[in-house]
Amino acid sequence: MLKIEHLKKHYDNFSLDCSLEVRPGCVTGLIGQNGAGKSTSFKAVLGLISSDSGSITILGKDLREFTPKDRENLGVVLSDSGFSGYLTVKDIIPILKNLYKNFDASFFAEQLRRFRLPPDKKIKDFSTGMKAKLKILVAVSHHAKLLILDEPTAGLDVIARDELLELLREFMEQDEERSILISSHISSDLESLCDDIYMIHDGSMILHEDTDVLLSDYALLKVDEDQFAKLDKQFVLRSKKESYGYRCLTDQKQYYMENYPKIVIERGTIDEVITMMIRGQK
Amino acid sequence: MMKGLLIKDFKLMKGQKNFFFLVVLVSIGMPAFSGDATFMLGFLPFVLSMFTLSTISYDEFDNGNAFLFTLPVSRTGYAVEKYILALLLGGGAWVFATLLAVAFAVIKGTANISEILMAAVLILPALIVIQALMIPFQLKFGSEKGRLALIGAFGLLAVIGVVAVKAAEILGIDLWELIGNLPAMGMGVMITLLLLAAILVLLTSMKISCSIMKGKEF
Repeated sequence: MLKIEHLKKHYDNFSLDCSLEVRPGCVTGLIGQNGAGKSTSFKAVLGLISSDSGSITILGKDLREFTPKDRENLGVVLSDSGFSGYLTVKDIIPILKNLYKNFDASFFAEQLRRFRLPPDKKIKDFSTGMKAKLKILVAVSHHAKLLILDEPTAGLDVIARDELLELLREFMEQDEERSILISSHISSDLESLCDDIYMIHDGSMILHEDTDVLLSDYALLKVDEDQFAKLDKQFVLRSKKESYGYRCLTDQKQYYMENYPKIVIERGTIDEVITMMIRGQK
Repeated sequence: MMKGLLIKDFKLMKGQKNFFFLVVLVSIGMPAFSGDATFMLGFLPFVLSMFTLSTISYDEFDNGNAFLFTLPVSRTGYAVEKYILALLLGGGAWVFATLLAVAFAVIKGTANISEILMAAVLILPALIVIQALMIPFQLKFGSEKGRLALIGAFGLLAVIGVVAVKAAEILGIDLWELIGNLPAMGMGVMITLLLLAAILVLLTSMKISCSIMKGKEF
């Protein structure tokens, strides 16, 4: 669906080198801190900014040959941009109808009711949650093959986030060829939705793993100085000095559970993994 | 795609409908008081075609362009649509103002109808050229600097006009008489040439606008 190979973009104080792949039928997550390069990657994929080098293949086409017409197969949410705030929901319906051949007006109307979005209010007067819901709704209402969602849940409360993730799950259920690329800095969103996750830091990918593996095989080992000295470190990805000794990240939980029954082993959440990958030492 | 963009722009302009009606009211009101029906021939089309610029500002506001170009909208299509919008607004207002001016002339019996039509026809190439100047400036520099550039362009045109009229005075030429005295055939040819030149300027401007949009990053 989407393949990015060594996409490079250089700014004065930031360099991006991004490779990732979104497979058909999969939800791929991109997680990273603010300023890690998520939005820059997304904008390059969407042709909003130029790239210095690398290749992007999207829906089977090289990005340079990807026409505006082909974009009918994409649904996009950008974190910092959307329809003009001076328009109302009622205004954007005829616009979407005329831009997308497959715009599903009845689905759109139904979802407006479901999310209680007022048709006559200017979008700029919407709450953060309402704006976010509208953005996703616009992205899923024309039978797109690939959704590219940059921080669609930013600034939302738990309930609103759940509603949106539910909408995305429904989108995926309708057609098994559909895919989503979604970025967030809230790991729990990605944990429950994504099949695989990329972690980006300072413009480069530091980890790519299936979500299942991440949750089952990654773990944190909490050891004192003595245990640390004796620890077999071949499956330790990162370690970090703590007051009690060391905290270590491994992707082979089973190995340490079997061989070191006495050490404290905690399940690796995505937040823990990303913190260790960034802060810990190799 | 064009239709979708045009709908978007008309929906955006809906927010300015009060200003819109005010402009129409002023241009109808002015000749009603002053008796000069030719005023609105220039005023109405120029001011209404300025609404095109405000739609460009709306699009840019809050980084809206970034989202716009993730929709099935091409950069060149976007630029061309602004010209279509400007011509629809300017052209529509021009037809409306001309009819209104003629109606005034008939009711008040103040002005010569052929004089009004002549003025209207002469305004048309100027209208086209000004739009051709405005749009690329606005696309390139955005609303702040674009407006300055626009004022500059108007100023320049005004200066050229004043200089031309002064020059004519100094040389002892009565412009209206001169135009009126041109043989019918000559007048037609002149207007056609002016219009052709204006359209050429417009097409060049459109080409420049397309390349401005293509080079933009959002």
